[in-house]
Amino acid sequence: MTRPPAGWPGRRLRWVPSLALLAIGALGATVAVGVAGTGSRSTGSPVTAPGAPAPPLAGRSLTGAPVDLAAFRGRVVLVNLFASWCGPCRDELPLLVAAQRRWASRDLQVLGLAVRDGEAAIRALLAETGAVELTVVPDPTGATAVSWGAFGVPETFLVDAQGRIADRTSGPVTAGWLDRRLTRLLGAP
Amino acid sequence: MTGQVGSVALGAGLAASVAATLLWLRRALAPDAPVRPARLATAAALVAAVLACGAAEWALLRHDFSLRFVAEHGGRHVPVYYTVTSLWSALDGSLLLWLLILTGYAGLLARTVPADGRRLHPWAMAVVSVVAVFFFALSHFAANPFHPVAPVPADGPGPNPLLRTHPAMGLHPPLLYAGYVGLVVPFGYALAGLLAGPAGRRWAVPARRWTLLAWTLLTAGILLGAWWSYAVLGWGGYWAWDPVENASLVPWLTATAFLHALRRPGAVDRTGWPVGLACASFLLVLLGTFLTRSGMVASVHAFTASPLGPVLLGFLLVTAVGTVLLIGWRLRLPADSDTPRAEPLLSRPTALLGTLILLTTIAAVVLAGTLFPLLAEAVSGTTAAVGPGYFHRTVVPLAIVLLGLVGLAPLLSRAGTSPGELAGRAAAPAGVALAAVAVPGLLSRPGPTVLAAFGCAGFALASTAADLWRRLRASGRRAGWSRIGTALAHAGIALVAVGAAASAAYTVSVERELAVGESLTASGATVRLAAIERTGDDAGMRVRARLAVGPSGRPTGTAAPELTYHPGHDLTVSVPAIRPGLLRDTYTTLLAVSADGRTATVRLAVNRMVSLVWAGGALTVLGGALVLAGTVPRRARRGRIRRDRDRPRPAAPVAPGGAR
Amino acid sequence: MRPRRAVGAAVLLVLLLGAVLGTYRSVRVADDDPARRLSSELRCPACQGESVADSRSPIAAAIREVIAARLRAGDSPEEVRTYLVRRYGAEVLATPPAQGWGLLLWLVPVLALGVGAGSALRTHRRRRGAAPGARPAPPRPTRRPPPPVTAAGVWTAGAVAVLALVGGVAVAAPRLATAPEPARRPGPAIAADPVLDLLALARAAEEQGRYEAAAEIYRTALERRPADEIRLRFAFILIRLGQTAEAARLAETVLAARPDTPDALLMLGLAQRDSDPAASVHTLRRFLDRAPGHPAAAEVRRLLGDG
Repeated sequence: MTRPPAGWPGRRLRWVPSLALLAIGALGATVAVGVAGTGSRSTGSPVTAPGAPAPPLAGRSLTGAPVDLAAFRGRVVLVNLFASWCGPCRDELPLLVAAQRRWASRDLQVLGLAVRDGEAAIRALLAETGAVELTVVPDPTGATAVSWGAFGVPETFLVDAQGRIADRTSGPVTAGWLDRRLTRLLGAP
Repeated sequence: MTGQVGSVALGAGLAASVAATLLWLRRALAPDAPVRPARLATAAALVAAVLACGAAEWALLRHDFSLRFVAEHGGRHVPVYYTVTSLWSALDGSLLLWLLILTGYAGLLARTVPADGRRLHPWAMAVVSVVAVFFFALSHFAANPFHPVAPVPADGPGPNPLLRTHPAMGLHPPLLYAGYVGLVVPFGYALAGLLAGPAGRRWAVPARRWTLLAWTLLTAGILLGAWWSYAVLGWGGYWAWDPVENASLVPWLTATAFLHALRRPGAVDRTGWPVGLACASFLLVLLGTFLTRSGMVASVHAFTASPLGPVLLGFLLVTAVGTVLLIGWRLRLPADSDTPRAEPLLSRPTALLGTLILLTTIAAVVLAGTLFPLLAEAVSGTTAAVGPGYFHRTVVPLAIVLLGLVGLAPLLSRAGTSPGELAGRAAAPAGVALAAVAVPGLLSRPGPTVLAAFGCAGFALASTAADLWRRLRASGRRAGWSRIGTALAHAGIALVAVGAAASAAYTVSVERELAVGESLTASGATVRLAAIERTGDDAGMRVRARLAVGPSGRPTGTAAPELTYHPGHDLTVSVPAIRPGLLRDTYTTLLAVSADGRTATVRLAVNRMVSLVWAGGALTVLGGALVLAGTVPRRARRGRIRRDRDRPRPAAPVAPGGAR
Repeated sequence: MRPRRAVGAAVLLVLLLGAVLGTYRSVRVADDDPARRLSSELRCPACQGESVADSRSPIAAAIREVIAARLRAGDSPEEVRTYLVRRYGAEVLATPPAQGWGLLLWLVPVLALGVGAGSALRTHRRRRGAAPGARPAPPRPTRRPPPPVTAAGVWTAGAVAVLALVGGVAVAAPRLATAPEPARRPGPAIAADPVLDLLALARAAEEQGRYEAAAEIYRTALERRPADEIRLRFAFILIRLGQTAEAARLAETVLAARPDTPDALLMLGLAQRDSDPAASVHTLRRFLDRAPGHPAAAEVRRLLGDG
């Protein structure tokens, strides 16, 4: 019988079910928001957020000349983190060389940071991809990459003329990306 | 053709389970309704699930790439064994396995009517059938593996390489699913108990037996999963607090708590614990299925994102809300005036209550840690991670206290024990516990947490052994499988704790780049790199490091860890080589090989006492099986379930005609 | 009996002393390697669910070196952690800090234990209050029974609910399947895109010199996804197999959509070499004009006799 006999004794649980319903409702709503969410994620890095002053980057380039990011104040600098052990970096270097040439008259400086790599391997990679003309600073321990909050290679930062981070992107850049960002910062070549 | 058979089977299964639900519901509402049609419908659903699984396996084995599932997860280069197991190596196929096991349970349940639960049984069957309806519908509409693809590819990539490197793949998922899905039966009985009114008081007796079955299988599945993680994933450990592992652990914890809740005198009548835990266990199974099948959490074991997520979430929420409403509406606890007895503080029921609170707390903590990244992303938009650090700091202390309770409970009697009596009984186990702290503490420096774990485990082992001995002596040979099984399960858990603590504290590992001929030493174990071998075939590239194990010049054995590259998935799998020992495993992994093939980066770890984890786990499984054997009713003559002693007496007068 | 007891107590006392001593000794060396500890509490930013300590990724190795260097330079572990959080955000911490939303997580064990113990205590008190000898509880008025429900009503409701369940799944599933999948974080290890699998398979076949097999796979991949990149790879294999006419058609398809694509010019030029040498030279020169730095440029110059 589904109908309980009259005078079914006992007490009901009073607050437990309502509490459980509340918890299920709250959890369910949150998870549903998560399921439907756009998946946009903020990188919560204050140091290299757009608008923040760029972290220091200084060292000797492959040619032995001293390089300091601070000395490029007044020019737009494209900082590209790469390594010879990374496949996509190989495809990206010719694009960077082309950008450097196209915007040379507009004061663009491309600066390569070779992360955790040997100098011989870097030279070989540059020769292979026709990017010998790039200014490259080796970062053998990766300490500079970490101080920039890099997630891996390739990763690209744009530093504006005031020395502030203007943009960043993880993964290989495309010609379109370079075109849009550099045109916005520097004007058409 | 095969695809049509499979699709039709899924549709037929859906129809059969809808029919089964309604027929069982009719039987539940009108006890004189015939039971045969309901049984037939349940059997038909089982046959449909068998056919669907058979069709999928047939298509996999025949390399019938015209079916979506085979095109995406089959491959001509995959050995037959792993072709068979590839059914459950991806989402859609694993749902078929789910269905097969679920309908298998339903078929079995339809045939076993508990002697004094005739009114409950149809309700439980109706609940299980509803769940089957949902999963048939899910498989048919949302994840149908039998959809055709056009054009038909000539070959497929095969299942994920990680899932075809170890034969345990054939056993671990089915076992885990069998345990996981089995928790549907106690859920069914708990709801049946609520739905059947005063006649439902006896729901816990059959629920306990089915939970024991599911619990034993789930324990074995979790254990095999840990072993698979240790032997295949090659990171050196066996438990990473990964979301998928957690999703199987949480229902295990609540199911364990449920089994303990039933041991409290009058538990079923006097408290809401058993109903709550039985329902929670299955709801957590659904939650775990949602987490791992929807791609919501990142994990090595998880399947990719799919439209299944929202559908599963919807079903989970509907079920959870329905269950809670039902509990609120129908659950009746006896009025305070009917429960005059208060348990003394030092008594076994109090210890059991403590166990329940601790087990549910641990379950809540593991669940919170697993869900937190999801919730944080939904609420604040930032990603957050909950790593092992959180679980070590929260679960481990709770588990150590729980282990202490496992040791304390056998020393306490049902009616209460005086402090003096307790001190007398606890002296010997306490001595063992103190020795288990003092000896490792003085000889090595494992840290206070590990020492506490050793101490509590020693206490639990000693008191369990003493209790078993006392009981065996007192009752001669009639102590019963149940009693022995319980003791073995508890001892097994204590051994797992020792193994986990010791392997965390004493494991030593080194990694270095070696040229051929060089050697690497850690904690007395030496490996020398003898050769690097490369082979390549259709399935991918394979690099193997031949290592001589043992002091230089006098190697005592070899080990050959390897790296396999699978182009179909662009994935490199590192297969470790393990030389197991009684108390120390020599665990070698090949991490990288230089481009010229002359040097290899090798990791050598000496893992202590990991074998205790396996031995303890196996003992726990054996214990569960023995307890299960003890509850199987002696057939025919008595027609009633043994252990009547533990059956709760109705605390309230049963209205005439309520129970028959 | 008494001497036995005394001996037992003495043994226990000695063991207790040993245990205390052992624990004390253990506590003092707990923090042996702060760098290792710190790196195991950080999440590798480039990986899924691995700590900085365990990850093989180069950026994790770099972070490990930074941690070691900063600790050597005299920073406290807390300062190093702050340094990294400022660079990678709070999500670099493997465990959320006990503040803001993270605090909730740490409160879970406390709350769960508190609720469990509190309710148990309440029940215990109440029962003791009702224990024999105490004032007998007044008989409670019988509660109103739940509203009566007829069997037919329950059955109908059940039937409707089951059909609603099936209908709900049937309606929801196809919609969700066709809804654009939001861009989620990088998925787990299993490759989700069958075409990518096919391409990898084809590349493997290509590397092993099984060009005919590779061509078949490319054909399948192209049918599933008519992308220029696949067209060109397919064309390259066809040229190797001598089926230049089809290769030229593929390259022309690409050029029709995107004129002057260097790779397409290259493929077209190579494909035309047998059938129409003059056109081939013209196409290859256009290729050299477009992409003087192309990896294949040197080889093409050699072919054209440019030295």
